[in-house]
Amino acid sequence: MRAYKDLREFLTVLEGEHQLLRITDQVLPEPDMAAAACALTQIGEESPAIYFDNIKGFVSARVAMNVHGSWSNHALALGMDKDAAMKDQFFEFVRRFELFPGQLEHVETAPWQEVVVDKDVNLYEILPLFRLNRGDGGYFIDKPCVVSRDPDDWNNDDVENVGVYRLQVKGRNRLGIQTVPQHDIAVHMRHAEERGEDLPIAIALGNEPIITLMGATPLLYTQLEYKMAAVMQGAPYRVVKTAKGLDVPWGSEYVLEGRILYGVREPEGPFGEFPGYYSGCHKYPVIEIDRVSHRKDPVYDAVYVGRPWTEIDYLQAMTTSAPIFLQLKQTFPEIVAVNALYTHGLVVVVSTKIRYGGFAKYVGLRVLTTTHGLGYAKIVIVVDEDVDPFDLKQVMWAMSVKVNPAGDIVTIPNLAENLLDPACSPGGIVTKMIIDATTPVAPDKRGDYGEELDKPQGTDQWRLKLAGLLKEMHK
Amino acid sequence: MTSPAAAKPAACPRCRSTTIGVLAHSPVAGVWTVFGCSTCLYAWRSTEPEENTNPDKYPAPFRLRVEDIANFATIPPVPPRRSS
Repeated sequence: MRAYKDLREFLTVLEGEHQLLRITDQVLPEPDMAAAACALTQIGEESPAIYFDNIKGFVSARVAMNVHGSWSNHALALGMDKDAAMKDQFFEFVRRFELFPGQLEHVETAPWQEVVVDKDVNLYEILPLFRLNRGDGGYFIDKPCVVSRDPDDWNNDDVENVGVYRLQVKGRNRLGIQTVPQHDIAVHMRHAEERGEDLPIAIALGNEPIITLMGATPLLYTQLEYKMAAVMQGAPYRVVKTAKGLDVPWGSEYVLEGRILYGVREPEGPFGEFPGYYSGCHKYPVIEIDRVSHRKDPVYDAVYVGRPWTEIDYLQAMTTSAPIFLQLKQTFPEIVAVNALYTHGLVVVVSTKIRYGGFAKYVGLRVLTTTHGLGYAKIVIVVDEDVDPFDLKQVMWAMSVKVNPAGDIVTIPNLAENLLDPACSPGGIVTKMIIDATTPVAPDKRGDYGEELDKPQGTDQWRLKLAGLLKEMHK
Repeated sequence: MTSPAAAKPAACPRCRSTTIGVLAHSPVAGVWTVFGCSTCLYAWRSTEPEENTNPDKYPAPFRLRVEDIANFATIPPVPPRRSS
C-alpha cells in the first residue's frame, strides 16, 4: 500500500521500475501521440506509460499516457509488486474496499495554485489537447476527475462526487460533458436544473493514480471517492477547497473551475468510446470555465481509448469487479470472485458455491440488480467455485461442458442499459442474458455428469519445485 | 497535410458550413492554428492529416448534414423547474 502524493511521484516510481518510456523526439499532436499510445496497448500486458515533452507548437508541454495501461502499472498504482497476479490484485482491491470509509485531510494551499488564469481563458493554449481517433468531433479531456456537490444537500461531504466523465473542448472556455443517467453527477445536475441554477464544478487533471481509479468506480451515491481513495492508499486523502467549496486533490496538475450551465444542451461527439465504437452525436450539457489554475510546468494525463484492450480497460477492471463482488456477497455469502474486466463489465463472470439446484440463476439475476448491473452487466456467466473467473481457459471449459442451452440460458427482454452499448435497441434498452455454467445439482437433475478429473498426488509440490527450477534456468 | 498556421479554410470539414472561426494559435508562433465550426462544433488543427482538415477527404461515416443536428437526442432532457 502506498500514498503517492501526486502524478509526478508515481511517474518517478514507474520510471524506476522500467515502466515509463520517455519520447524525446519531437512529435506532432496528431497523429503521433494517439498512434504511439495505441501501439503501446498492442505490445502486451506489461506495456509502460509513455511521456512526451517535445510536442510541436507547444512551449514546454508535458503529456503522460498509458499511466494505468498494464497490469504492472495497475499493481504499482496500488502499491503492490509489479508482478502481482490479476487475481491477487482483485482480492487486495476488495480487502481495502471493505475498509471504507477513510479520512480526508483538509489543507489550505496546493501546488496547483501556483499559476492562475482567470481572464481570457483559452483551453486550446493552456492544455496540450490532441485528437485521439479520426472520427472524434474535437479534442476531448478524457481522464478528468470532475468534482460536484448536490445543490439540495450542499454541505454533505458524503454525497460530494468525483467522477471521470468525457469532456469535449468546444470553445476557448466551453466544454461538453457526458453525464450518463446512472452516474452520480446526473443527480446533482438534475437537482440544479430543477432549481433553475447552474451547477458549480471543479475539474482536476493530472492526478495521482488512485483517485482516477476511484472516479471510475461505481460507488454508492453516499460513498465519497476521496474516502475510498484514503483506504486504497492507506493514508488520509489530502484535498484543498475551491472558493465554491468543492474539494480538489492536493496533488493535481491542473484545476479548472466552472459551471454546468442551466438548461443548455449542445451537439457533442462523436468520441471513440470504451465499447470499441464511436458514440455518435447527441445534445449534451455544457460547461463554462471561469478559472484555470495549474502547477508550473504541468503534466497532462490522457487515456487512449480504442478497440479493447486499451488503457481504459485497466481503469475499469478491478474498479468494476470489486463493488459487484461486495454487493453480491452481501446477498449470497457463497460468492467466491467476480471478473467484470471486459468492456466495463458488459460481460461479468461470477464464481460461486452452489447452495442447491437452480441457485446459480439467482446469482446471475442479482448481478443485474447491483448498482453497476443496472446500466452495464448484459451477459452474466456463472461458474462453479473451483473455476477461476479470471482464467478464461477455465471459464470456456465450464461453458463447453456445463451448459445445455435448453435449460441454462435465461434472457430478460427490454432492460435498461448504458447508451454506449451499441447493441441497445432502442438506445438505452437491451435484452440481458444469464448463462448458468455451473454443474447441475439436485434437485436440478440434468445432464450426465460423472466424476470430474482432478490432479495426481503431489502436483502442487511439483508446481512449486518446477517454478523454482525455471526461475534458476532464466537467471 | 495542410500547411502550418494555414489561412482560414472555406468550409468545415465535417458539415461544410462556412461558420468557421479561429480558436487558437500555437503557443510557438506560426506552427499551427486550431479552427472551430460554430454550427456543428467540430474543431481541428491545421497540421492534422487531411482526413480531418479537408472536407473532400473527411471520412464519409463522420460527415454531418446541418439539418440533422436538430434531431440529435437531448440527454438528459432539461427537467421542469420546481414550483417555488
